[in-house]
Amino acid sequence: MNPVPVSAPTGRGGPSPSDRPATGVVGAYTVLAGTLMSTVGLSWDVQWHIEVGPDTFFTLPHLILYSGSAIAGIASLVMVLRATFAQRAGRPADPAAGGSPVRVLGGTFTAPLGYLVAGTGGALFLLYGLLDLWWHSLYGFDAVLDSPPHVALFISISLTMVGSVIVFAAARAQRRGRIGLIVSIPVLMTFTPITTYAFQRVPLPLDPKLAGTVFFAVCFVLMGAITLRHRQVALSIAVVLGAMQLFLWWFSPWASRAYADYVGLPLRDNLMDMAPQLPAGIPMFMLAAALVIEGLLWLGRGRGWSARWLPQLVGAAGGVVVSLSMLVQTSMLRAGAGRGPMGQATTSATTVLIDVLVGLAFGALAGYLAARFAVLLRLNTPAADQEGR
Amino acid sequence: MHVRTYLLPRPRPARATRHAPKHRARSLLLAVCIMAVVIPVSAPSAKAYAPAEPEQAYAPVEVVHTEQVQAGPYHLTVGFSTWPLRAMQSLDFTFAPDGGLTGKSGTLSMTGPGMKGGRREAGPLSRHPRKRDVWGLDIQSLSTAGKWSFTFAINGPQGQGTGTLDNVTVLDQPGPPLALSWALCTLPVLGLIAFLAVAWRRHRPSRHLAALGI
Repeated sequence: MNPVPVSAPTGRGGPSPSDRPATGVVGAYTVLAGTLMSTVGLSWDVQWHIEVGPDTFFTLPHLILYSGSAIAGIASLVMVLRATFAQRAGRPADPAAGGSPVRVLGGTFTAPLGYLVAGTGGALFLLYGLLDLWWHSLYGFDAVLDSPPHVALFISISLTMVGSVIVFAAARAQRRGRIGLIVSIPVLMTFTPITTYAFQRVPLPLDPKLAGTVFFAVCFVLMGAITLRHRQVALSIAVVLGAMQLFLWWFSPWASRAYADYVGLPLRDNLMDMAPQLPAGIPMFMLAAALVIEGLLWLGRGRGWSARWLPQLVGAAGGVVVSLSMLVQTSMLRAGAGRGPMGQATTSATTVLIDVLVGLAFGALAGYLAARFAVLLRLNTPAADQEGR
Repeated sequence: MHVRTYLLPRPRPARATRHAPKHRARSLLLAVCIMAVVIPVSAPSAKAYAPAEPEQAYAPVEVVHTEQVQAGPYHLTVGFSTWPLRAMQSLDFTFAPDGGLTGKSGTLSMTGPGMKGGRREAGPLSRHPRKRDVWGLDIQSLSTAGKWSFTFAINGPQGQGTGTLDNVTVLDQPGPPLALSWALCTLPVLGLIAFLAVAWRRHRPSRHLAALGI
């Protein structure tokens, strides 16, 4: 890829803006549907391995997981081709349909930024899928989340989800763009912390899964709230996240058992009554953190606090709430083996202190980055800030 | 990556939700095209998800090497689906007590080099998902090379017995060095960081914070 600045005319000579969003919204929501399928497929697959076990490439959870990336990737490709043909036909690019256009491969393609990122994620998923096939031929069909190709696959899916967020942020002047952003951010929040499994065998002074959960939860909620600058955006994101968690909590074990019953496989012996693994790792008390974030943002905006340090303050406060709530969540979900979604549950004073420090540090960092990411999203389509208000 | 944003003074869309039928049809056509491409791609997988017989879909457990363990009054045959063992290479383990599983239960704990606390906590012995007449572990790998041991505690009609299979040698991992695999598989993250760095350098978001507002 060798993108260069677009120099194509972007005046008002083309079709009226009102005829553009129809295809744009189909493309955007198709990418979102693909990312939702990947999330559901992964949660189901993880539960399948825990409760049933036998694995081949050709299982229904794998089909859902891989189809999700395929659908999102193909939809992104279609939108890139559409933008390319439109640009060649001399029609002006519309940044609201996927983000600012970027020239790729010396101008061969004109790709809206969001679809470029989402499509790159889909293409990488395909490439690393081949690497994963080779890995399994060498190491066996290990059902672990933290093998290098599996982590690369998760990162690729996360990239597609990042693309989806860019696409909807670009369409934020429209109601359906804002709704899409409020749904796509929780999808990203659910999936991205899985990447932290890569660090679980590295001896670290803190829990990488906890740090990742705090960082990504605070960063993405705050980024959404600052990007849209509407009241209750943080709360809305937390509500959607909670709904997704509830659905996966019910669906993943149900689907595993129903599918096992359908193909005639028994459940594993000695299944402990543990919470479903993927949804149990999603912060259950995100609504509380979102309330704190929303309240501090309201206070800071109302009193004119400096935009330079308000995000860090809000992030640190939200981070502490998420971190401590994960401690409560782990204790609540402690099963027979004494383990929860964040590992061994311990509640000593040292643990609480470390969790507070993790919340403060990673929350502040998340706040700092969230505000800057929101600025980048808004600069991607600045015209949207003058529309729909 | 060189990204240029467009500051278009675009007119406000005239109720973007109302489109001419022609454009609705175009959107529908796009959705149909996407599905038309995806369905043939995923069809071969779809055919395989509902096998007529489960054993046709899942590879049988083939024991290529066995070791013997005496756990008190119980004699146990430990089977391995690959031999010799290599670190990180997953395989099926089978644990078959003489006389079958009826009336017996037990736990297994494993000890290996580099394990936290030196020993994995004991877990109950469960039937192998693909070989239900014996206990076992399916597609499990041992993480590090060196000497491993498996300790069994069996309860049954003849009381309790404990036995250990010592000095199971696990050779080095196959394939390229792990660092190389990780380097290759973290390229997407490095790409994302590079993309963000370029966008950051180009737009200097900190400078826009005050102007755009929080």
